[in-house]
Amino acid sequence: MPLILIGVNHRTAPVAVRERMSVADAQLAATLDELKVIAPIDGVALLSTCNRVEVILSAEREDVIEAFVDWLSARGASSRSELEKHLYILRYADVARHLFRVASGLDSMVVGEPQIGGQVRTSFLAAQRSGAIDPLLHRLFEETMRVARKVRSETGIGEHAVSVPYAAVELARKIFGDLHGLQALLLGAGKMSELTAEHLAGFGLKQIFVANRAHERAEEMAARFRGMAIRFEEIDPHLATCDIVIASTAAPHYVVEAQQVERALTARRMRNLFLIDLSVPRNLDPAIAQVDGAYLYNIDDLQQVADSNRELRLQKAEQAEEIVAREVDHFRRRLLARDAVPTIVELQERLESIRTAELEKCLRRLGPVTADQRQALELLTTQIVNKILHYPILRLKESADEPQERESLRQTIRKIFGLR
Amino acid sequence: MSPNFTLYAALLFYTAGTLIALASLFTRERRTQHAALVLMIGGFLCHTTWIGTICARTHHPPLTNLPEAAAFVAWCIFVVELALFIRYRVQAASFFVYPLVLMLLTVAAVVHEPFAQMDPALRSSLFTAHVLLSAVGVAALLTGLAFTALSYAQDRALKSKHRGPLWEWIPSLSVCRTLSYRTLAVGFSIYTLGILAGILWSYRTTAGPIDMRVKQLGGITAWILFAVLLQSYISGAYRARRTALISVGAFVAIVVAMLGIHHV
Repeated sequence: MPLILIGVNHRTAPVAVRERMSVADAQLAATLDELKVIAPIDGVALLSTCNRVEVILSAEREDVIEAFVDWLSARGASSRSELEKHLYILRYADVARHLFRVASGLDSMVVGEPQIGGQVRTSFLAAQRSGAIDPLLHRLFEETMRVARKVRSETGIGEHAVSVPYAAVELARKIFGDLHGLQALLLGAGKMSELTAEHLAGFGLKQIFVANRAHERAEEMAARFRGMAIRFEEIDPHLATCDIVIASTAAPHYVVEAQQVERALTARRMRNLFLIDLSVPRNLDPAIAQVDGAYLYNIDDLQQVADSNRELRLQKAEQAEEIVAREVDHFRRRLLARDAVPTIVELQERLESIRTAELEKCLRRLGPVTADQRQALELLTTQIVNKILHYPILRLKESADEPQERESLRQTIRKIFGLR
Repeated sequence: MSPNFTLYAALLFYTAGTLIALASLFTRERRTQHAALVLMIGGFLCHTTWIGTICARTHHPPLTNLPEAAAFVAWCIFVVELALFIRYRVQAASFFVYPLVLMLLTVAAVVHEPFAQMDPALRSSLFTAHVLLSAVGVAALLTGLAFTALSYAQDRALKSKHRGPLWEWIPSLSVCRTLSYRTLAVGFSIYTLGILAGILWSYRTTAGPIDMRVKQLGGITAWILFAVLLQSYISGAYRARRTALISVGAFVAIVVAMLGIHHV
């Protein structure tokens, strides 16, 4: 199995090393053209993200590794000995295991992050477009993307938010489902509320209203979200029309009381209201949490959601590792079975040539025969050959697990059937 | 082969499916949920065959006694659940619906008096309309209650900020309430028609007012409670705890009404 992976990642190399080696998307094609001719290889692909730079090779001989290590060393502008401290070189099934884990987000800084799947796909497409990829790497990348999809759909590893703003989005979606067409009210113009509003806006909020003591600041922030600035005195009517309230003011007291929320919910005919309090001291009366239809989360609550999601992702990662292990095993078996293909083909060709030669001799001895008779003889001899070949081929495929057994079987079959 | 073979096969599939679905609460694996669904569909096919056998043998809808009615309502509940699953992919309802289906079919198997010939006096289209509409209505209402339960569980989890084992499986509150409202509204309309057909049939048969037995009292109490429940959705007076209490009452009333169908 001539698969090799050489690279550095966020675990093995500091950002100072990774940034020198990284390849921008726009340079991928040119870099692949450069890599194709470094050494005699069958295929090459390059995965470069902010967390990793990896060269994936398909080559008959392992000595090509040296050339690629030199290339990485030159690209990173570091000495070879310096680079070797950060470098890892994987071979055979370890390459598949590594790529499956990377694409599934198991090797990411934030376990389960979804962007890496797209980055692996980009690197595959770039290598394909550059003609740098051989059937083996093609198969490897296709399998990698399939396994990543499987891991994500079976474990849901990337579904839980691990940052405070995303935790707010996740909770909003648990309450409202689709956020399209909802309205949000921002009280205060703090950095965190801005960030949270930005994330929520990305999910299709219809309108964002911003209320701030300094009205100019409210207008400035509203302009950023194409929202509307309102005065603090106008909060009450907006509580009745907005679905999400994000509070982050510097006020040392509550700016929204439970009674205001109760009145708003009556006016909303009990449509749910999600209130996020990001300020310290708190701006939203904690008694709001007791009001039916109002869901109040403060900064600690959101942090707790993010933390428990992180733990949940780690649990899911264990399930994901099992899937990856199974898939690596399947991939390895298929690749090893693929190694037996040349012997199988040779064997089939050898017996087929014997069959046709003997059949011709027989037909010459028999003299004229009808088309039906000839067809019957063809069928008979083909079936005999197929029956003879059945077990040797089966054993060759089955012996994929044991390299020594496989090699000895291959040699035996070659000797018995007189293959070259 | 015994005509009840498919009933027991359905029970076996439903038991396995329900246990696996409940196990998925702990394993949190989607594969487990899918396996449960496959088993439940297997049970549903056997269940359908059994109901078909009753219809073929008795030449009337399978609703003349408690086991038949319980089996038919269970069948309708599963159809509604399957339709909602296909449309909305809500897996969490299965934690309530599967045990309910299993429970009803177990009643059918334990009481064990299917294939009863129908009293000729009952062979009227009004009676058939009454039993069919009531059964379908009850199935939709019970499914609606399952979604109300999900909605309540989600509300509690969001309020308490502690996720229960159902958190991941339950869709948004908005989806739960919409599905709950829709299934309750449709079920209530059908159930009302069923009750009206029953009153008319009773009046025609006995030429007198409706006889108030456990079945009738349970049915009418359930109707009133479902009406209150729907009213709270429509008027926007929804309150999580009150809704939960009314739902429990409605469920008990429906069960009492069903247990009252010993003989029509």
